[in-house]
Amino acid sequence: MGNQFVLIISASIFCIGTVGFLIRRNPLIMLMSVELMLNSVNFLLIGYSSILQTLDGQIFALIILTVAAAEVVVGLAIILTIFRTRHDLNVDHINVLKG
Amino acid sequence: MFSYAWLILALPLLGFIGLSWFGNKISKKQAGYAGCATVGLSFLVTLVVLSELLALEPEKRLGHVETLYQWVSSGSFKLDLAILIDPLSVFMFLIVTGVGFLIHVYSIEYMKGDPEYSRFFAYMNLFIFSMLLLVAAADFFFLIVGWALVGLASYLLIGFWKEKTSAVLAARKAFVMNVIGDVGMVIAALMIFQNFGSLSYMDVFSAAPDQFRSNDDTMVMITLLLLVGAFAKSAQIPLHTWLPDAMEGPTPVSALIHAATMVTAGVYLIARCHVLYELAPITMYLIAGVGALTAVFAGTMGMVQYDIKRVIAYSTMSQLGYMFLAVGIGVFSFGMFHLMTHAFFKALLFLSAGSVIHGLNGEQDIRKMGGLRFAMPLTHITFLVGAICLAGVPLTSGFFSKEAIIMSSFHAEMGNIVFWAMGVLTAGMTGFYIFRVYFYTFMGKSRNPEAHPHESPKIMAGPLLILAFFALVMGFSAHWVDQFLGPVFGVAAHHYEDSMLEAIVVLAGLGGILIAGIVYMTSKDKLEFAKQALAPVYDVLFNKYYIDEIYDFLIVKPVRAIGAFFEQKVEKEGIDYVVDQVGSQVRGISQGISFLQSGKIRTYALNMVVGMVAILLFVVFL
Repeated sequence: MGNQFVLIISASIFCIGTVGFLIRRNPLIMLMSVELMLNSVNFLLIGYSSILQTLDGQIFALIILTVAAAEVVVGLAIILTIFRTRHDLNVDHINVLKG
Repeated sequence: MFSYAWLILALPLLGFIGLSWFGNKISKKQAGYAGCATVGLSFLVTLVVLSELLALEPEKRLGHVETLYQWVSSGSFKLDLAILIDPLSVFMFLIVTGVGFLIHVYSIEYMKGDPEYSRFFAYMNLFIFSMLLLVAAADFFFLIVGWALVGLASYLLIGFWKEKTSAVLAARKAFVMNVIGDVGMVIAALMIFQNFGSLSYMDVFSAAPDQFRSNDDTMVMITLLLLVGAFAKSAQIPLHTWLPDAMEGPTPVSALIHAATMVTAGVYLIARCHVLYELAPITMYLIAGVGALTAVFAGTMGMVQYDIKRVIAYSTMSQLGYMFLAVGIGVFSFGMFHLMTHAFFKALLFLSAGSVIHGLNGEQDIRKMGGLRFAMPLTHITFLVGAICLAGVPLTSGFFSKEAIIMSSFHAEMGNIVFWAMGVLTAGMTGFYIFRVYFYTFMGKSRNPEAHPHESPKIMAGPLLILAFFALVMGFSAHWVDQFLGPVFGVAAHHYEDSMLEAIVVLAGLGGILIAGIVYMTSKDKLEFAKQALAPVYDVLFNKYYIDEIYDFLIVKPVRAIGAFFEQKVEKEGIDYVVDQVGSQVRGISQGISFLQSGKIRTYALNMVVGMVAILLFVVFL
């Protein structure tokens, strides 16, 4: 039971994150969706760490959290700069790199 | 024991480098003196080497190889930075540095008006260094290095007045002709290495007689290829056309490079490689034949030219023909002896001609000269000395050296009556053309009332007088030269006594002078009459047998046509087309697929998700 519960919750959160990333146009929300996806994986790691009685998963989760925090800093900085220069945060309008 | 002999080469090289770097920072006077000093010191070192060499027994004078360090060592191939000290190389050192020094001194005054004074002396020093390297080389590698450097220096000096189109074209012509020779030399060196496994003179010359029979195909091939280089450098038929044009350079250059030293490199090469040539008698006959032919051929062209320097240039070709004749019939030391006497009197003639040109502010056409014996008494005397030496008037140096060659061309083992007759004919023509110039220039009345000739200053007169002295007396050193060079060539050449033949040679030379006197000193009518009677011949001679035109038609034009074809069909429509197509095709394809780069983050994300799902499905279900 515990096994399946962890898997289902994790997969659900991941899907919510993915869909959120795809359908929202505000980069701030999109960033939050990415966090959601990362945390679904964290959930899986910690869940299995508890089921299998090993510490590896928890250590991994801590590393992921650290990386995610660093990533969010960069992401927020970029978003801030974009907003400053364009006064517009709709990602569909940000297409300067169109081929 | 001759380790200091490196100074002979190092000094002019130092002069070249110094004058190139600091030439603009020092005054003209300093540049000139520096240029002379290096060559002068080099000459002094040569004298020391000579004295030490003379102190040795004649047999022990050979083969002193001074190695500075080993430069290349690859398997069996070894290359030392080394110079060879033996009578032959020291003999050449003396001529190059001695005559070279006098010409440098002369140039101090001659080039005074030139704005690029230090560049001139830098090039002259470079030439002296290159020529010494060529002569001092102890192996074929450095011989070729010196050979090519000499060609470069010649190119730079012929084209010294680079704002003159004709000078630049002449320089290019000389360079191309010389490179033809260089290619022959390089192939010869490769063949020598293939056959002997070494490039050093010592190894090759000692191994050759055991390894090859007389007239062996390989040996004939090697000697012929070396000969291509010798012919190109020494302006022998058919590679002679560059020498008359080379007179575009300043007169001291003509005297130094195109009369006294560089053009004699071919004679030196054959003398140096005499061991190889003696194994290929066929090549020797070819050398003698071409030499005799060039002597006559150049003599005929020299008889009708009006440019004072060109006449002397043709005479140089003609005298080089004598030297080739001499080495071709195996009397190497006579060839070298004529090389030396020729260096003196031909440098003298050129410098005297330069003095005339200087005095007339650049006039070179002998038809516009005349009566200069009053205005330029000293130049008159020195030119006359040069002329009688060249014409072979008895007891002058030219008489001894030329007579020895012509006599051997009949009596020596490989001589025959044809060579002898050509030699005598040339002697007659020599007397004619040089005294034609002399009478035109110094006798009669001035033909140009505008000209105000003036005698050249003392610093130019000094070298002229010294050269005149040596040109007159060096003939008496014939015996000494034979003794000195004898060990190099195995035996001293035999002097043939034949008073009748000797008389004919002398009479031919004097006859030429007499005819020139009759034609040019008496009335104009005879000259015009002779010109008209011989008009067709005259035209052919005046146009130098149309050789330039023939080469233009046979080689230059076809090469240009081939070049134009390749430029259009291969370059533009072939290679360029392929390159252009690669570029435009890549661009086309890129434009076709560039819609994928929409710039929309959500599209990319969707693509990623779809891709991941596809991979997942693939992994799970297949």
